[in-house]
Amino acid sequence: MNAQSSLVLSADKLSKTVTGPDGSLTILDEVSLSVEEGSSLAIVGVSGSGKTTLLGLLAGLDRPSSGSVILGGQKLDPLDEEARARVRRRMVGFVFQSFHLLPALNAEENVMLPLELEGLADARQRAAQALADVGLSARLHHYPHQLSGGEQQRVAIARAFVHRPKLLFADEPTGNLDQRTGAAISDLLFSLNREHATTLVMVSHDQSLASRCQRSLRLSDGRIVTGDS
Amino acid sequence: MKAGVFAWRSLRREFRHGELATLAVALLLAVAALTAVGTLASRVENTLLGSAADLMGGNLGISASRSALPEEFPAQAAAFGLRSSHSIEFASVLFADGRSQFTEIRAVDGDFPLRGELLVANAQGLQQHIRAPARGEVYIDHAVGAALQAGIGDDVQLGGRDYRIAGELIRAAGGAVVQFAPAMMMNLQDAQSSGLLGVGSRASYRLMVAGEADAIERFSNWAKPRLPDNARLTTIADAQANLRTTLQRGENFLRMAALLAVLLAGVAVALAAQRFARRKTEEVALLRCLGASRNEILLALLLELGMLALPAFAAGGAIGLALHQAAFAFAGPMLGTTPAPIPFAPVFAAVAIGLAVLLGFALPPLLRLRDVEPMRVFRQDMQTRLRRFDALYLLPLVVSAGLLMTQSNSLTLALVLACGLLAVGLLASLFTLLVLRLLRAVGRNWPGALRFGLANLGRRKRLTMIQVTALALSLTALDLLAVVGPSLLERWRAELPADTPNYFVLNLQSDQRAGFEERLRTLGADNFSLLPLAAGKLVGINGKDPALHLGAGDEEASRRIEGEVRVSWSSTLPEANTLIEGTWFEAAPPAAQLSVSRNWMEMLKLRLGDTLTLRFGDRDLRAAISSVREVDWDSFRVNFFLMLDPAHGNPLPHSLISSFHLADGSSELAALSRDMPNLSLVDVNSILDRVRDVIQKVTTSVSWVLAFSLAAGVMVLLGALASTAEERRFETALLRTLGADRRQVNLAILGEFGALGLLAGTISGLGTAATSVVLASEVFNMQGFRPPAFGLAVVAVASALMVMLAGLLGTRRIARTPPMLVLRRGN
Repeated sequence: MNAQSSLVLSADKLSKTVTGPDGSLTILDEVSLSVEEGSSLAIVGVSGSGKTTLLGLLAGLDRPSSGSVILGGQKLDPLDEEARARVRRRMVGFVFQSFHLLPALNAEENVMLPLELEGLADARQRAAQALADVGLSARLHHYPHQLSGGEQQRVAIARAFVHRPKLLFADEPTGNLDQRTGAAISDLLFSLNREHATTLVMVSHDQSLASRCQRSLRLSDGRIVTGDS
Repeated sequence: MKAGVFAWRSLRREFRHGELATLAVALLLAVAALTAVGTLASRVENTLLGSAADLMGGNLGISASRSALPEEFPAQAAAFGLRSSHSIEFASVLFADGRSQFTEIRAVDGDFPLRGELLVANAQGLQQHIRAPARGEVYIDHAVGAALQAGIGDDVQLGGRDYRIAGELIRAAGGAVVQFAPAMMMNLQDAQSSGLLGVGSRASYRLMVAGEADAIERFSNWAKPRLPDNARLTTIADAQANLRTTLQRGENFLRMAALLAVLLAGVAVALAAQRFARRKTEEVALLRCLGASRNEILLALLLELGMLALPAFAAGGAIGLALHQAAFAFAGPMLGTTPAPIPFAPVFAAVAIGLAVLLGFALPPLLRLRDVEPMRVFRQDMQTRLRRFDALYLLPLVVSAGLLMTQSNSLTLALVLACGLLAVGLLASLFTLLVLRLLRAVGRNWPGALRFGLANLGRRKRLTMIQVTALALSLTALDLLAVVGPSLLERWRAELPADTPNYFVLNLQSDQRAGFEERLRTLGADNFSLLPLAAGKLVGINGKDPALHLGAGDEEASRRIEGEVRVSWSSTLPEANTLIEGTWFEAAPPAAQLSVSRNWMEMLKLRLGDTLTLRFGDRDLRAAISSVREVDWDSFRVNFFLMLDPAHGNPLPHSLISSFHLADGSSELAALSRDMPNLSLVDVNSILDRVRDVIQKVTTSVSWVLAFSLAAGVMVLLGALASTAEERRFETALLRTLGADRRQVNLAILGEFGALGLLAGTISGLGTAATSVVLASEVFNMQGFRPPAFGLAVVAVASALMVMLAGLLGTRRIARTPPMLVLRRGN
C-alpha cells in the first residue's frame, strides 16, 4: 500500500502570523505533520503554544498565513470558505472544550444539526441512536442548561460522530470537566473512535489523555519540539 | 472603584460592539427627528400665524361700535412698543353722474396696513402694493366701479364732497372675510371731517396693533379688563376661526408624526439596551465576584449611558436643526412671505424627551443587571432567574403613555394611538404563539436549513415574541407614517374640489327663481344648489320658555336663541350632511318635524322627540325633532342648524338662498346684481382661496415631517434588526464549522427573519388599518375613510423582505469571519 494514499491529513510548513498592537506575532511557525487514516494524534503543549490555532488550520476553520493543508485528499488553501465548509460537512467532526452546544436547541436537536445540514431524512432517528450510544437516551429533550458538564460533552461527542466523519478534531475535550467525568468522556471518545474507525486529532495539555493516542507531538512557541511529524 | 473613570473606560472599550452604537444612533435619530419635527411644526405654525396677521392687518385688533376707543388704548400700545393704526368702517351711498351705490367704506390712516398688504390697480391695470389713499382720494373696488360706471381718474361724491378715484381696490389686509357689499377705501382724516360720522352713525372704529409677541400679550392682558362695553378685542386666533379645523388637523398630523418617531426610537433603544445588558452580564458577574457593590455597578452603568447619550443628544439636536432648515428652505417659500425665526424651545424639548426615552426604555434591562449572581463567573450557562412578572418592564409603557398624553395635545389622538398600539402589541404576541405552534406541527417536512431557521423561532419563543411585537409596533408606526399619512393628506386635499361653490346669493324671491337659474345657466355656473330660507325666532322648547329649559350660565346658547333663527327645508338630505339619529322626513307628516344639527342638539340640551316652537311673523309652529344631522361646516355649502319637513316649510314666508361655482365671474355677477338689485351676492373666493392655501401649506409641511419621521424610523429599525441578526453570530459560526454552506446559512436566516417580518408586517397592516379608520374619524374628522389596503399589503410584504435583508446584512459579516474567531470568542 502506498503510504501517501493512506494519509488522511497532512500539513506542510504551516505558519500563522497575526498583527497586534506591538507589531506582528508568529503563532505557528512552519509546522509540518501528517496523519494516517484510522490513527490518533495528540498535539500537546502549554497554553499559548499554538495548539488550538493549529487545530483550527488543520480543520479548515481558518486560513494559514503560509503553508498548506491537505484534508481527505483535498488541498484546502485554494478553497474559499464555502468550499472548506463543504469539506468539513462531508469529512469532519468536532468536540470542543466548552462544548459549544446551541443553547436554544435540545440535546436531540443539537445532535441532528450536522445531519440536517446534509439534508438527511432520518436525522431524528439517527440522532436518537447517537445519543443512546453515549448513554443519554433519557435526555433527548433536555436543553444544554438542564444538563451537567459531562452530559453536555456527551451530547457534543454524539454530535461529532453522528454523521460518521473520517476525521474527528477534539480541542481539550476534558478541559472543562472533573477528573472522573473527564476519564469517562475520554473512554467514550476513544471507544467510539475505534468503533467508527475514525481518525482522531486531539489537542490537549493533559499528558495522560495524550498518551492514549497512538502518536503525539509537542508544540512550543508555535514550533514542533518533540514527536514525529 | 471610581465609577466615572470606570464608566469612561467601559464606554471606550465597548463602543465597537454593536449595541452601544445602535443605542446612540437610535437616541441621535430620535432627538434629530423630534427636533426637526418640533422646530418645523412650530415654525410652520408661527409662519401661518404670521400670515394670518398679514391677513388681519396686525396682531391684535380692538373694534368699537358707534364711538371711538378712549385715547389710553393707542397710548398704552405705544408704551408697550407696539405700532398702531386707526380705521373706521361705515356704510354710505356713493354718487357719480346721477348713479348711486350703497357702499361699505373703510377709512384708514397713513400707517395702514401694519401687517399684510394693500393691493391697488392703476389705470393701466398694473397692481401695486401701496399705502393708504391721500386726502381727497379714494380706492374703489370693481363692483363699485361697475355700478357707478366710474373709473380711475373720475370723481365720486360722498357726503356732499368730491373724491378722485386713485385706484381700483384689489385686496386689503383686515378687510371683511366675506364681502357683502361693494367697497371703497378713503383717508381717515377725510372721513373724520366729512360729517358722516356724527351721532347716530353706525360706524365701527378699529384700532389695530402690531409688534413682538410678548408685547402683544402684555397689551392684550392690559386691554381686556379696560374694554368699554361697545368694544371687542380680536386676536389672530379669533381671526383664524374659519381655519381652526385646518390648523388643528395639521397640528394633529405633525404631533402624530413626531410621536411615532419617538416611539420607534424607543423600540430601538429597548432592543439595543436588552442586548447590551445580555452582553454585560458576564462582566457584571466578574465585577461582583471581585467585590464591586450593586450600587457601584449601577452607578457606573448609568454614567456610561450618560456619557453615551449626551453627545448623541447634541448631535441629534444639530442634525435635527439642519434637517429642519433644509426642509424649510424648500417648503418655506410656500408657507408665507415672512418666515418666522427658528424656534429653539423644541430642541430642548426633544432632548428632554430623548432622555425620557433613554431612561424609560433602557433602564429596565440595565437595572436587572443588579441581580446578576457572582456565581455566574463559574458557570457561564447559568440563567439569571426570570421573574414571572417584572414591574420594571412597565416603565416603557408608562413613559410611552406619558409621551402620548403630553405630546399629542389631544386626548383623542393620545387614546387612539395608545389603544391602537396596545392592540397591535397584544395581537402580535397572541398571533406569534399561534403561528409558532402551527410551524411546529407542519414544519417537520420542510428542507433542513429552512426548518432549522423556522424552528429557531419556536425554540426562542420568548425572544421571538418580543421581536415580533417590537417589529409589529415599529411597522405600525411606519405604516401610519408611510401609507396612512399620505392617504389621509390626499383625502384632505380633495375635500375642497375645484368646483366648490364660491358664490352665495341671498334674498332671492320665489318669482325671480326661473330668471336667476336661466342667467346662471348662461354664465356656465356649476354645482348649483338652491334652498328656501325662513327667518324666525325660537320661542319654546317642549312648551317652555327656552331660557327656562336652558337654565342660567350658558351664555353662548342664550345668545344663539335670542337672535334670529334661520330655517330651511328639503325633501332630501342636503350634501355635506349625515344623518346620525332618527330618519329623514316622510312625504307629508301630519305634524311638523325638525331635523337638528348635532351641535345644536348638544348646545340646547335636546333629545330626539323634543319639540321646538318657532315663531315666524305672528305665526307659531311647533315641530318635533325627528332626526339629528352631523353637518360638515367646512364644506362651503349652505348649511342649516334647523331643517323643517317641506310640507310644513313651504307655506312659510321665505326667500331663497343659492350657492354655485363660477370661475372668474365677477363682472357678469356685477351685471346680475344690477339687474336684480334686491339680491345680496356673497363672494367667498377669498376665504376659499385662503383655506385651500393653508391646506396646501400645511399638507406640504406635514408631508415633509412624515418623510423625516419615516426615514428616521426605517434607519432605526434597520439598525436594530441588523444587530438582532448579530445575535445569531455564534449559531452561524457553529453551523459554518459543522459544514453548512452559505446557501444553507442564508436559507436558515431567510426563513427565520422572513417569518418574523411577515408576521409583524401582517399584524401591523391589520392594526394600522383599524387604527387609521378611528384616527380618520375621531382625530382628523374625515368620515368614511378607507385604509389603503393595497398599500398596507405591499408594506407587509416589503417588511418581510426588509427584515430578511436586514437579517442577511447582519450575518454577512459573520459569514465572512473565519468560524474559528467566533468560536474562540465564545457564546
